[in-house]
Amino acid sequence: MRLRRHFDMEESTGIDLAPMLDFVMNLLIFFIITAVFVKEVGFQVQRHGGGAGGPSTGKDTGSISVVVKASGDVIVDGRVVDVRAVRPNIVRLHAQQPEWGVMVTAEKMAEAGLLVQVMDQIRQGGVENISFGTSSR
Amino acid sequence: MHGKRHAGESEDHGIDLAPMLDFVMNLLIFFIITTSFVREPGVVVNKAEALKVGEQQQGNILIAIRPNGEVWMDRRQVDMREVRPLIERMHLERPEDTVIIIADKKAPSGTLALVMDEVKHGGVKEVAIGAASAAGK
Repeated sequence: MRLRRHFDMEESTGIDLAPMLDFVMNLLIFFIITAVFVKEVGFQVQRHGGGAGGPSTGKDTGSISVVVKASGDVIVDGRVVDVRAVRPNIVRLHAQQPEWGVMVTAEKMAEAGLLVQVMDQIRQGGVENISFGTSSR
Repeated sequence: MHGKRHAGESEDHGIDLAPMLDFVMNLLIFFIITTSFVREPGVVVNKAEALKVGEQQQGNILIAIRPNGEVWMDRRQVDMREVRPLIERMHLERPEDTVIIIADKKAPSGTLALVMDEVKHGGVKEVAIGAASAAGK
């Protein structure tokens, strides 16, 4: 009787979990060391080739032209403007032609930092449809 | 004597591992679902700042462009012609991955455009330009 009770107790303890715990612990360590919590932030842009094809706004619509020059000048719709003035200009042009996208053309040696600033200004101006290309110079 | 031996046996079994296993299992599941296997470029770049940035959900392939035009991906410097085959291979392995191009502030825009083209030709249609969020500053 006593032996049987002892046997019952063994049964209720269940299987030995130690090897499983070892295995799970190994998996856990693996996933901890490979985990990366850095979320990259950014924005998506379309790409247009040299001159051919604008943003995907539609066949018969145009686009607002923004040029970023290697010298650091930003030209919006034919006028040289300051980087911080891109947003109001885009807001104005976007109000005039709400269905138009923006075509950003950068010179090859233009700094990417300025380009990102200009694109950020355009996005702040309410236009998400940005197409990016480079001029041949 | 018999009782003592019984106590010794239960000492052998040690503490109950089941609660610990539950806890470790929970940790494991947490790390499995948060892991994303980001392919880091392996180089630090001075990112351009932007106010309006969106978090890229599946941005797992990071490509860095240094100020001198070097392209880094997957922890090594790559040639411009290597980008497309590398992206093609990664796209086959994990088709849901998207690409974030992190260009340095001083990086030339022409290189950025070339890398973007190579990535698109490599089969990844969603390409984002990475930027540091300036909203919190």
